[in-house]
Amino acid sequence: MKHCGIIASVLLFVFLTLSLSGCWNRRELDTLAIVSGVALDKPKETDQIMITTQIIKPSQIKPTSSSGGETGGSSPYFNLTETGTSLFETIRKMTETCSRKLYWPHNHIIIISWDLAEEGIRKYMDLFIRDPEARLLVFILISKGQAKDILEEKPDLKKIPAMEIAEIVKASGATSFAPQITLKDFSERLLSKTTSPVAPIILLTGEGKGKRAHVAGTAVFKQDKLVGELDEIETRGFLWVAGKIKSGIINVECLQGKGQNSLEIIRANKKIIPEIKDGHISITIKIKEEGNLVNQMNNKDLSEPAAWEDLKKRQAAAIEGEIRAALKKAQELNTDIFGFGDSIHKKYPELWKEIEPKWDELFPSLETNVVVDAKLHHPGKLTKPLYPAEES
Amino acid sequence: MFRSISKKIQFLKLLHQNPNPSGNSHDFPDFSQTQLTNNLNKNLSLLQDILGHSNDVNIREFCFGNQGKIKALLIFIDGLVDARIINESILRPLMYNSRFIDSGGKVTTDPLREIERSMLSVGNIKRINRVGDIVHNILSGSTALLIDSFCEAVIISTRGWETRGVQESKTDSIVRGPREGFSENLRANTALLRRKIKSPDLIIESRTLGKKTQTDICIAYLKTVVNPRLIKEIKRRLEQIKTDAILESGYIEQFIEDNPLSPFPSIDNNEKPDIIAAKILEGRAAILVDGTPFVLTMPMVLIENFQSAGDYYSRPYYTSVVRIIRYIAFLVGILAPAAYVALTTYHQELLPTPLLITMAASREGTPFPAMIEALAMGVVFEILREAGVRLPRPVGQAISIVGALVIGESAVSAGLITAPMVIVVAFTAICSFVVPALYDVQVIIRVILVILAGFLGEFGIFIGLLGLLVHLCALQSFGTPYLSPLAPLNPSGLKDVFVRAPLWLMSNRSRGMGEWDPLRQAFRLMPQQPEKDNE
Repeated sequence: MKHCGIIASVLLFVFLTLSLSGCWNRRELDTLAIVSGVALDKPKETDQIMITTQIIKPSQIKPTSSSGGETGGSSPYFNLTETGTSLFETIRKMTETCSRKLYWPHNHIIIISWDLAEEGIRKYMDLFIRDPEARLLVFILISKGQAKDILEEKPDLKKIPAMEIAEIVKASGATSFAPQITLKDFSERLLSKTTSPVAPIILLTGEGKGKRAHVAGTAVFKQDKLVGELDEIETRGFLWVAGKIKSGIINVECLQGKGQNSLEIIRANKKIIPEIKDGHISITIKIKEEGNLVNQMNNKDLSEPAAWEDLKKRQAAAIEGEIRAALKKAQELNTDIFGFGDSIHKKYPELWKEIEPKWDELFPSLETNVVVDAKLHHPGKLTKPLYPAEES
Repeated sequence: MFRSISKKIQFLKLLHQNPNPSGNSHDFPDFSQTQLTNNLNKNLSLLQDILGHSNDVNIREFCFGNQGKIKALLIFIDGLVDARIINESILRPLMYNSRFIDSGGKVTTDPLREIERSMLSVGNIKRINRVGDIVHNILSGSTALLIDSFCEAVIISTRGWETRGVQESKTDSIVRGPREGFSENLRANTALLRRKIKSPDLIIESRTLGKKTQTDICIAYLKTVVNPRLIKEIKRRLEQIKTDAILESGYIEQFIEDNPLSPFPSIDNNEKPDIIAAKILEGRAAILVDGTPFVLTMPMVLIENFQSAGDYYSRPYYTSVVRIIRYIAFLVGILAPAAYVALTTYHQELLPTPLLITMAASREGTPFPAMIEALAMGVVFEILREAGVRLPRPVGQAISIVGALVIGESAVSAGLITAPMVIVVAFTAICSFVVPALYDVQVIIRVILVILAGFLGEFGIFIGLLGLLVHLCALQSFGTPYLSPLAPLNPSGLKDVFVRAPLWLMSNRSRGMGEWDPLRQAFRLMPQQPEKDNE
């Protein structure tokens, strides 16, 4: 019976302590304003920053709306725009117009306008990385034109524009014409002295109601300032070297050159080998690629080994061409987006101390070798071209 | 505040130190050691005094012998005895046949023995002269034969009262396996057990418990397998029970269990002979109690709750899947509402966005915090369950319809309760029925975890789970750690924990119980294809 006393007092103690904590960070779901996307803009002629947050209205998203349709019910999201001098202050100011406190963990995208990015974005990224509520896996996008407008685009498949844009970014792996850059990737590059950050470019195409978000190309930063862009082919060149190719279509001519063949990239590997000989730096980029033939638009019989081999060579040449284009553009902009500096640092830690201060001078004229080992596996269900057999 | 509590506790202590006054509160003369005299009338009045003048006490006076000169009487309790035995096997031989017996002038040295030998055609007969024992025997259905001028009574076993036959067990129904269950009759129950284990090793010791009820109980065990210390300990604990009444095996369980303050049971019960036989064969001891089909087995370990008799009768593969499902269902049964409360009020970032939006959508406009909702729905469910259990079946169905429609559907559509909470509570309830032996434990733990989750979030849940683990590690049942064979780890015992290994692999009895005779069967019993003839 001695235990009874101890147990009673322990239970009492526990319950009193529990109620003392007062559930300080308890937040019911209906007190949250779930942010799904945020756009950072620079208002004209001011030093201020304009923030647009896209907030989900859960009550407007009916999980089982079979009746659906445009009629009835307001839109399932709304955009809040606020202008202020510092990012955090402006976000807090949004409670002046929004009855609930913003909830950031489910933020999908950060869109930064071109003007703002040109001025440098380190100070803004700081908040998104430092704040425990925000996630590092949110996608970074650079918008041509106002970032705010992109969040107002009408989504087709999803109900929330920001979520649809996040899906578009994920789907860009099918062409590899845009990099997928999360805040984590971006901040890793921001922390490097030589490697330049990049981000995909988003823009609105079409007019009026038919406006659509379009993600393609790469915005290139020097430190935290936007300095230029890569087009789609250059972007893929960059992604080959970065080892981030997921899939994509390569168009190559045939031996006789009457029409094109489309080859699908199945998988790709890269290897970057820096070499320093007598103070001369060279970088060898080795790409291993495997592809399939998916579309033949001429009558060449590719079941002939010679034609198939030729196709392989042309595939390798096309890949090399894309990489060369990306290298040329990066060297023109003097931005080491490939991380060559870091790879030299890893291989020659001692020499790097000398190289690092003059890297900006060295990079534009860096010697690069591109070695592409491309394989072509399957011709698909057709082995012969879809033409009547030629009389021999 | 603490002082007043401790004062109260001290008061309680004093109360418990007082000698228990119930024993000799009324001064009845103690007759248990009194012996019979050789005067029949005196004996009769003595017994009448003791038995009182209840109208079910039947006293039949008669005379017998070849001149009908010997006075005798039968005492029995009407309803407890088989009237046919009394009429045909006691009264008829004594009153009718004895007239024709010619003693032939021989004077037997022991006439009672002569009567026993040649006249009473009943199987079970003994002679007693202590009044206490005679009364006890009469009250348990025997008939006492008192003959004038003899100071001993012949106790004739005439038990025969109305009992429920062997019927299908209601609490533990399985797909494959024997259907029969124990009944309320102790003898029939020991017989069922004996029919399963036809070995002289099966010892069934009996004793009586309960001052007033004089309940017969039996301890059954396998002499060569059980740990003798276990039997000694069981007997020691049984001897400490000094109570008026043992009406069900639950009384004994609560008096002898190891952990009276824990929600976890440390003595198992079951009403199926095959299960009890299997447990006895593993080296456990069973306590059978007269008047109840529920038989206690000990020692008990936690994993017994997750094992079912059907597991061993079916093939091992699907059985193993089912067993893992039972563990999952148990975890869901204790964790689901707490996890839901923690996720929706503290850790919304852990939910995938579409799920969060769906949950938030159903959350819009509901008035109560998630913790209150979870507790209230838990109470509502328990009320529905309790109402359904006690009612006759047709009314019970009405209850479940009202519960499902009114509470489930209407409360959600009226916006009082969120729909996901109804799903969580309902699913939890179903899960907790998967392991019925731990249903009460799950309810208690669930409530504690919901409260912890409501105050501290996931952190609270883990505090609760850690506390639970520590508690389970500290439990013992008759010297066996409650978590064995998991903690302390016994690798060979794991064959019957999360999966059920094929029977031919389980050659050893589980350690901690069957170590006295560890080998259950030969090794290498895996069935083989017959060897092909080379011809």
